[in-house]
Amino acid sequence: MSWFWSAIAEAGVAKRLGNVIRALRFHAGEMTQGELGDRIGVTRQTVAAIEQGRYAPTLETAFRIADVFGKRLDEVFSWREEGAD
Amino acid sequence: MAYREKLAWLTLGLMLVAYTIYFAFVGPAVGFGQERLMDVIWSFGWVAAGHGLAALLGFAILFFASGREGRGKPDERDRAIQRRGATAGYGVLLTGMILVGVAMPFSEPPWKIVNTALLAIVVAEVIKDVVVLVSYRRGWSG
Repeated sequence: MSWFWSAIAEAGVAKRLGNVIRALRFHAGEMTQGELGDRIGVTRQTVAAIEQGRYAPTLETAFRIADVFGKRLDEVFSWREEGAD
Repeated sequence: MAYREKLAWLTLGLMLVAYTIYFAFVGPAVGFGQERLMDVIWSFGWVAAGHGLAALLGFAILFFASGREGRGKPDERDRAIQRRGATAGYGVLLTGMILVGVAMPFSEPPWKIVNTALLAIVVAEVIKDVVVLVSYRRGWSG
């Protein structure tokens, strides 16, 4: 029955897509959201929404973002518990 | 604020103003076509034409004021939000059309059917715009 209680415990934890794009931009010569947006083909507002976790990008855009910073996808995005940073 | 969010605000504002004018003032003034159904067509037609002109003017002003952003294509988030809004609006429109096309012909006079159909279209558009705006503001677009 342990699998059952594990599933219940897991279901109770809200998770969301987290990312470290802001930090990566900072370390990339303080790249602006607009510059990143231009390089991956989205607007500045969409980059801001992705950074704040208000929009989950498509897989293709996620790969494009990782590619801009020369990182793997899992170095940029993570599946984390709500509120964890 | 994103260019397309401004567009949604403009669309919603114009819809509310134009069709409040029709349903609160112009429509009642002609009895919503109870006497002559053509009164509805003419009165609604003028309001819709005014709405269309105001929208054209507003869109043109926004387009030129927004510069490069306004000339850009909608990105994936814009498209996702538009899809969500269109889906919500379609549901309302479908419900309204079932009401006016399937249920009302058995019990209601033509002028009521026509005006309810027009109202359903307006409400569907308003719902679409509200869903789009909420999606932009709250990030309800994943």
